[in-house]
Amino acid sequence: MEVMSSGMAHAKEDDEAAERIAGGRPCDAVPKIRLRGVTKAFAGPSGEVTALQDISLDIADGEFVCLVGPSGCGKTTLLRILAGLEKQTTGAVDVRRADGDRPLSRMVFQEQSILPWMTVEQNVAYGLSMRGVDRKRQKAIVAHYLEMTGLGRFATSYPHQLSGGMKQRVSVARAFADDPEILLMDEPFASLDEQNRLLLQQELLRIWEGTQKTVVFITHSIDEAINLGDRLLVMTAYPGRLKAIVDVPLTRPRDVTETRADPRASRLYMEVWRQLRDEVLKAKVGGEGIRPAPAGNRA
Amino acid sequence: MKDIKRALSIASPLALLLLWEVLARIPSRLTHFVAPPSLVMVTVWQMALTGELWQHMGWSFLRVMLGFAAGALPGIAVGLMMGLIPTVRAALQPIVAATLPIPKTALLPWIILLLGVGESSRVTIIGIGVFFLVLVNTMAGVMGIDPIYLDVGRNFGARGWRFYRTIAFPGALPTIFAGLKLGLGTAYLLIVFAEQIGVREGVGYLIWQAYDTFDIERMFAGLLLTSLLGFLSMTALSALERRWVPWRS
Repeated sequence: MEVMSSGMAHAKEDDEAAERIAGGRPCDAVPKIRLRGVTKAFAGPSGEVTALQDISLDIADGEFVCLVGPSGCGKTTLLRILAGLEKQTTGAVDVRRADGDRPLSRMVFQEQSILPWMTVEQNVAYGLSMRGVDRKRQKAIVAHYLEMTGLGRFATSYPHQLSGGMKQRVSVARAFADDPEILLMDEPFASLDEQNRLLLQQELLRIWEGTQKTVVFITHSIDEAINLGDRLLVMTAYPGRLKAIVDVPLTRPRDVTETRADPRASRLYMEVWRQLRDEVLKAKVGGEGIRPAPAGNRA
Repeated sequence: MKDIKRALSIASPLALLLLWEVLARIPSRLTHFVAPPSLVMVTVWQMALTGELWQHMGWSFLRVMLGFAAGALPGIAVGLMMGLIPTVRAALQPIVAATLPIPKTALLPWIILLLGVGESSRVTIIGIGVFFLVLVNTMAGVMGIDPIYLDVGRNFGARGWRFYRTIAFPGALPTIFAGLKLGLGTAYLLIVFAEQIGVREGVGYLIWQAYDTFDIERMFAGLLLTSLLGFLSMTALSALERRWVPWRS
C-alpha cells in the first residue's frame, strides 16, 4: 500500500514537472504520446555518453509537433525510441493506441531508405503487404498516394532511376499508405535543395491536413518547423534536453509561401533562433570534447 | 578507333589459333603432346555425330547442376541465418572457419568410402564445394546490408519469414550471386576430378580416358567441352543475375 501510494505521488510530481516544462499548457485529457523523464545513454569509446536527458512531454492526438535542435542533440534518438527501434535507458514512454487494426507508427527516415530492390509501387505498398492487406485494396491505396505525390509515372521504376526529391516522396508515400496513427519524420527533406524542400513541405501539409495523424517531425531548420508545426520543441545541444516549447500561431490549412510573408512567422523565427543560438555555439565548442573524460582519468 | 579495337580483339585469338596450328604440325617432340586445333575440331565433330559428345556433356552437366543445387540452397539458407542472427553466427562461425580450408578434392576418397563410387559421391563433393562458397558470401552479403534497410523492415512490420524474403535475401542477393559464380567455377573444377573413377561418361572421364590411351586429340576435345560447359553455365547464371537483380545497373 505504501509503495503504491508513493509511486502515485511520484507520477503526480512527474506530471506537474511536465506541465511546467510545457509552459503550463496542458494537452487534452489523455495525450497521444507521453514521455516522462526519458533518458538515453550510449556506451561510448571513452565512457558513457548521454544522448537524451530527462525528456518529459505530452503530444496531443492529431498534433503536428516539430523538434528543433542543433545536430547531434539526440533528436533522432528520441524518434527511434518512439518508433520502438531503440529502448530508453530510464523513464517512461507511453504511446496510446486507438485502433488495433492500423499500425501505431511509421517512420520517414532521413537518409535514402526506400528499398533499392523494389519498384516504387512495391515500396509504397510495403507496409500494406507486410500486414497482409488484400491485393486489390493495396493497389487502390498505392495508386492514390502515387497520384498525391506525383509519382504515378514512376510506379514501375526502381529507386536508382529517381532523383533525391522523388525518393523522399516515395518514402513519405510509403509511410502514409500504411495509414499509421503516428508519423515519425526524421529530417526527411534535409538532403534536398531549397526549392524541392519547399515543394515537399507543401505536399506534406496537403496530404496530412485532414488525416488526423499525429506527426513528430525532426528538423534543424527553424523555417521548416514554423512552416509545418503546431508546436515547436526546442532542444539543447549536449546532452539533449527540452529547452523551450513554442506555439505556432498560424492557422490551417497553411501555405508555405504565405507563411514566409507572415510577420508572426518572422517574430517566431527570431524567438526560436535566440533560444537555439546558444545551443548551436555550445555544440560547436563541445564538438571537440564531446566525450566526457571519465572522472579520475585526468591527473 | 573503336573499329580498330574490335578488329584487334577478334584478330588476336585467331592469330594464336593459327600459331598453335602451325607449331603443332611442324614435326618435333612437341607434336606428340599438342593436337592442332583443326584435328581437335574434327574429333569433336565426329563425337557429335556418333552422339558420344552429348552423352559426356549431358552427364557432366547433370552432375554439376545437382551438386550445385544441393550446395547452393542450404548455403543460402544457413548464410542468411548466420548473417542475421548473432547467436547462430557465434555458434556456427568456428565450425565453418575450421572446415572451410579443407581442400575439397582431398575429401573425395573418404566420401567414396562413405557413399560408394556411384553418382551420390560425385554430387556430394560438388555440393560441399559449392556450399561453403555460397554460405560465406551470403553471410557477408547480409552483414553488408545498410542497417537503414533493416530498420525499415522492422519499422514496417516485417517479421520472421517476411523479413528474410523482403530484406535479408534481396539485400544480400548481389553478393549471393558472386558466391554462386565462384561456386560454379569450383563445381567444374571438382567434376573433372570426380569423374576419374567409377564412370563411363562425362567430360572428366573423357579427359582421363584420353590420358590412359595417350589420345591427345580426345584429351583436347575433353578440355574444350569442359570449358564450353563452364562458359555456357556462367553465361546462364549472369543472365539470371541481370533478371533477378534489376536494381543494379
